[in-house]
Amino acid sequence: MSAIELVVEGKAVEPADGWTFAWVDRAAGVARLSDGSRSISCLVEGAGSEWFVTINGRRILVGARTWRERMLAKAESAAAGHGGPVDVKATLPGLVVAVGVEEGDDVAEGAPLLTIEAMKMQNEVRAPRAGRVVVVAVGAGQAVAAGATLLRIE
Amino acid sequence: MATSRSDGDPSLRKDGGATRPSKEIFSRLLVANRGEIAIRVIRACRELGIESIAVYSDADADAPHVRMADRAERIGPPAAADSYLSTDALLAAARRAGADAVHPGYGFLSENAAFARAVEAAGLTFVGPPPATLEALGDKLAARRSVAEAGVPIVPGLLVPLVAGPGGVAEADLAEVGFPALLKAAAGGGGRGMRRVERREEIGPALEGAAREALAAFGSGTLYLEQLVAPARHVEVQLLGDLHGGLAVLGERECSVQRRHQKLVEESPSPAVTPRIRGRLTDSARRVAGTVAFDSAATVEFLLDAAGNHYFLEMNTRLQVEHGVTELVTGVDLVAWQIRVAAGERLPDAVLRAAPRGHAIEARIYAEDPHRSFAPVAGSVTTWNMPSGPGVRVDAGVTADAPLPSEYDPLLAKLMVHAADRPAAIARLRRALDETRVGGVQTTLSFLRWLVDEPSFVNGAYDTDLVADRWRGGPPLTDLERSLAAAAARGARRDAGAPQLPRTDAASSGGSRWAAEARREAVGRRRPG
Repeated sequence: MSAIELVVEGKAVEPADGWTFAWVDRAAGVARLSDGSRSISCLVEGAGSEWFVTINGRRILVGARTWRERMLAKAESAAAGHGGPVDVKATLPGLVVAVGVEEGDDVAEGAPLLTIEAMKMQNEVRAPRAGRVVVVAVGAGQAVAAGATLLRIE
Repeated sequence: MATSRSDGDPSLRKDGGATRPSKEIFSRLLVANRGEIAIRVIRACRELGIESIAVYSDADADAPHVRMADRAERIGPPAAADSYLSTDALLAAARRAGADAVHPGYGFLSENAAFARAVEAAGLTFVGPPPATLEALGDKLAARRSVAEAGVPIVPGLLVPLVAGPGGVAEADLAEVGFPALLKAAAGGGGRGMRRVERREEIGPALEGAAREALAAFGSGTLYLEQLVAPARHVEVQLLGDLHGGLAVLGERECSVQRRHQKLVEESPSPAVTPRIRGRLTDSARRVAGTVAFDSAATVEFLLDAAGNHYFLEMNTRLQVEHGVTELVTGVDLVAWQIRVAAGERLPDAVLRAAPRGHAIEARIYAEDPHRSFAPVAGSVTTWNMPSGPGVRVDAGVTADAPLPSEYDPLLAKLMVHAADRPAAIARLRRALDETRVGGVQTTLSFLRWLVDEPSFVNGAYDTDLVADRWRGGPPLTDLERSLAAAAARGARRDAGAPQLPRTDAASSGGSRWAAEARREAVGRRRPG
């Protein structure tokens, strides 16, 4: 029984039974898991309650929170509530090819907002939460830098 | 399998396997590119005794290719249009550095006729074909016509541009092609402006989207329509020519492992190419080369259908990303010879008659998430452990702990292996992938590790739909993978120091680690839910 709750893809996971963990090269994040007969190399990066474990080239996000951290997070999200404005930003530089919403539109969480072409890909930008679009800062045909504010939802 | 195109003076071919370059070779070569391919060209220059000049945008000031070159010239801000795609900036850099030749690498300006012409007008040598050849081949539609006239099979479809507009598309044209069909950009390449059209009714919107993409990427929205050949394999033939009529045909590469019509894995020889098919591909590649003035490295791309029929797709007169696969099986240094033939050297017999040996595979490591439709990822590479050992070659251009420049191609490294036969090459690739560790960002490594155990890849019976049909979004995490990841995270977190306790608790428990741990466990056990 561990006091640290481990979460992968939103679900609590029990750590593999009987496998021991040891660093191989701690500075590089290289570690080894072993059950006595088998041994698996992995890359472990992170700190505190958020870790990335790379096994066979796949980077797996693992939440590792103590009971206290879970309680704190719950309290914080309850206090934050709803309603604060959220700026939707471009994660990559690219070209805005279509804007699907106008100022004043009500959007649901996950609703498509606009399309940005970056690195040969058309990427749909979706609403991070439900709310009203109060500012549309870009138009179709406009080039945007990484981190540029695209629109604001309140 | 290589002979001369001209049957002229036989003494021309008697210069044997001379490996030392002639005296007239360039003294200073400007590498008009970045990343791993710039490093590849710089390495060739060093071996040939040529001074190398790197160029860099502000995003690349501390990039590995800059550190590796003999000298470096700044060419502008991060945006490629203002730096690596700026003819003016590149020529100014070449003038400042006193370069006498320019190697364009791949991508960027490598197939840009206007750039090649400007380089020559400035009195420098362009390491590549004559500008007129780039022009002729840059128009894919015109190339289709001239290649068909030379007796090479082409994909059935239109030989004239498809025009969208008030009149719409001629029904007769569409009926002639049939559906499903593939919409392509006449000025295109690299999968841009390409659309699969399933039904007649989809042609309108597909035309619009493809034309927009093609216009943005190539400055021309001209499109044409081909029948969709499916299932199909993508097989290409490597050519190397000189200014004296010498032409080496250096075997084929199988490039069917693709996403978004872009290659991920290449191998040579192709598991689908029998000696009979190879003979026909070689003959067609020679005919294609004969349609243009050509004296450099080039690749002729073909589709191969399930019955073993081949169809010409296009000819690329530049170095390909996957050139290393051919170098491993033939032992011919394509980049060095590209530079030497540009300086006027003849290809020796050792190159003209190079016979492929063994099997080579290249696996491309991109900063892309294969579990999210191969979307490019932003971030920095942290840990960077590349494999080594027998038969392993890595061409990379990565700076650890610096943000990946999002302006450019997300290719991090090319991992290549060479072994006696295909099963041994796959085993070697699997071993090399297990030695490879890239931290900080998700890469295509998870896809590649899956691929080497995927039955259709292992038995060689795959086509260009492999990623779409077999990988899809990738297998879900297994319970073992989840629990191992959890065990690793717990181990790392515990090792990073005991989790912080509420201060009041720590004070009352007397500060003993053991007591604190016991209390923490107790608190954890009492937690609700």
